[in-house]
Amino acid sequence: MKRVLSNKWSIAVFVLPTVLFFTYIVIIPIFKSFYYSLLSEIPAKVGDASEFVWFENYIKMFTPGRRNDFPGAVLNSLTYAALSVFIQLPFSLLIALILSTGIKGESTYRNVFFIPVVISSVVISLLWQRIYKDLVPAIYNIFNLALPKNGFLANKDTKLMAVFIPNLWQFVGYHVLLMYGALKSIPTDVIEAATVDGASAPRMALQIQIPMIKPMLKVCLSFSLIGSFKLFDTPWILLERANKQLPALSMYVEMFSNHKYSYASAQAMFIVFECLAFTMLLNFIFKDRDGIESRKGRRRLAA
Amino acid sequence: MKKLVSLVLALAMLLSLTAAFAEDEVVTLKVASIWSAETEANRKPMLATLDEFAAAYPNIKLEVEWYEANAWKETGETLALSDSLPDVFYWNAGGVLWNLVGSGDILALNDYLTPEIMDRMEPGLLADMTFNEGKIYQLPYTKAASMLYCNTELFDKYSVKIPETWEELITAIETFKANGVTPMTVGGADQWPTNMYTDIIALRFAGDAACRAAYYKHEGATFMTQDWIDGMAAFKQLIDIGAFPEDAASLTRDESEVPYFAGEIPMYVHGQWFSGSLSPEMQQKVKAVKFPAVGKGYDNQYMGGAAEGFSVAAYTEHPDEAFTACQFFAENLSKNGYIAGAGLPAWKYDFSGIEGLNPVMAQIKEATSTADSMLLWGNTALTGEDATLIGDTVYDVLTGEITPEQWCEDMETIFE
Repeated sequence: MKRVLSNKWSIAVFVLPTVLFFTYIVIIPIFKSFYYSLLSEIPAKVGDASEFVWFENYIKMFTPGRRNDFPGAVLNSLTYAALSVFIQLPFSLLIALILSTGIKGESTYRNVFFIPVVISSVVISLLWQRIYKDLVPAIYNIFNLALPKNGFLANKDTKLMAVFIPNLWQFVGYHVLLMYGALKSIPTDVIEAATVDGASAPRMALQIQIPMIKPMLKVCLSFSLIGSFKLFDTPWILLERANKQLPALSMYVEMFSNHKYSYASAQAMFIVFECLAFTMLLNFIFKDRDGIESRKGRRRLAA
Repeated sequence: MKKLVSLVLALAMLLSLTAAFAEDEVVTLKVASIWSAETEANRKPMLATLDEFAAAYPNIKLEVEWYEANAWKETGETLALSDSLPDVFYWNAGGVLWNLVGSGDILALNDYLTPEIMDRMEPGLLADMTFNEGKIYQLPYTKAASMLYCNTELFDKYSVKIPETWEELITAIETFKANGVTPMTVGGADQWPTNMYTDIIALRFAGDAACRAAYYKHEGATFMTQDWIDGMAAFKQLIDIGAFPEDAASLTRDESEVPYFAGEIPMYVHGQWFSGSLSPEMQQKVKAVKFPAVGKGYDNQYMGGAAEGFSVAAYTEHPDEAFTACQFFAENLSKNGYIAGAGLPAWKYDFSGIEGLNPVMAQIKEATSTADSMLLWGNTALTGEDATLIGDTVYDVLTGEITPEQWCEDMETIFE
């Protein structure tokens, strides 16, 4: 087996089907979308062709009008990304740290936190729809509080947050599981040594556990950021109507309701580039830190 | 023996010859229809129509292909590119039909439409099927209309008069409101149910001609007139006096209709298909009336009209037979569809002997038969992003995010 895998040709043969498939369904469509995004819209009349307008669609995307608010949508997705990074991930980390100490019912808690992840987004959305439409108003009524005008899902001040909350809640379990797995893989002798040296739990978490699971934290961060930029299913179902307040929603409405294929392709390309840029940024940040850490480590060893 | 054999052979030859001649007389037409699913309301009426056609015209053979509605729209447009549309086919009216008329795919039917045939059709339905200076490209089999559905039980209980004027409507709303009854319902989250209200109110204030010009983006059309502003302001008045549920903007159409079906809401503006959703018990209580008058002279105009029908391909090899089939489908599906409760008839027919008809549908048929005009809904007549815009902006008026004036300004952008 080792001999087979050391042969570059055999590796190529094994990898080829996936590479071809991946190229066909991911790489080529990206280039095709880019090509479409440079064209003018196909006129409504059948049979007419479109022409090159180069970056006109991209300029249009960032020219805010009363009814064109793509920059606003991007801003909303950044808000959601910030909420994920600064609330969802720290919260997940906290739970993972507590679970990894081996508290009673560890596996039960782990499974309970993971349940929302395996439930389909459609079910989650419908569930939260009932929460917003029936449960929360009922609670408000008990305490005689004023409900937001038009209800949580239609009020312009509350609806985005109403959409973000189910998503933040749903994926906590996912990140918990990833971080928990990483925490559990830390060699026990390190933990034991720290305990013997008298490290308190917070100190152990901050100075030993978190630094040691940094690669996993990076993975969680990338998932979380990319997920924020392409957030679509929950808001689409929860808000029940053509809504352009997030980039992916805007793209969908432009493409399938407004039949503006070129403009929607430009928005799609923006989402692709945005995800790529943030992934690269993350890589850059973590790579640098990794470098510093390892240099520090080497220096410490030398000393 | 030899003689007998040759006689038999000669006879056989003769027979086959006549058979061949007879074969020649049979014309085969290709037909495309939607309603491929068994559950579609129009499926059975269409099948009955095809049976009636086979009985009436044994010399015209039909090869029918069934499609799902959206799939057929895409398939039809693709077939049109290569001039290979079937001889007779289902198609939508308005902008979608105009696309095919513009590319020369559809036969104008004027030469075949005798005054006698035209007389059998309900008047005023061909507006969205007529292009190029009076050429008719489609024949409708049904018509749509939005109505005000009044639950007479609640009207009687609170001694409210079924409104015929705007003032009476406001009085009715206020009376119901004072008695703790939500006067009207609308599924704002789905957007288009709200357009049912704004369209009919705008029609009452601005009239068919101005609305038609705006929805079809005619030269010089505008939303920036006092009539349009007054119309939207009137709708705003309904919201402000609490005609709709508090959370109307976050209700879907299904959710919004539940209390109506439960007999808790007295009024609802919606399309004629709503009458088909009423239970037999509710059908006895509900009265469908035309939307109240505002005294601008447009009070007998309706939103709705004929938005779908049958067309003939321009390049059919048998135009006479294709027209016969097209006209037969339209007229008989109109009859069969109404009997089945699938829709309003677009052709005149005496239904008096038929039992089990939906009484509410019958009221709508009666009311619309004397309509001055019928106009397609704004979000149907407009296409693409203009249709999205009219949905979005009306929703924003419902939630109070924009004023009637801002609505007019926003809608004016479709002419840019």
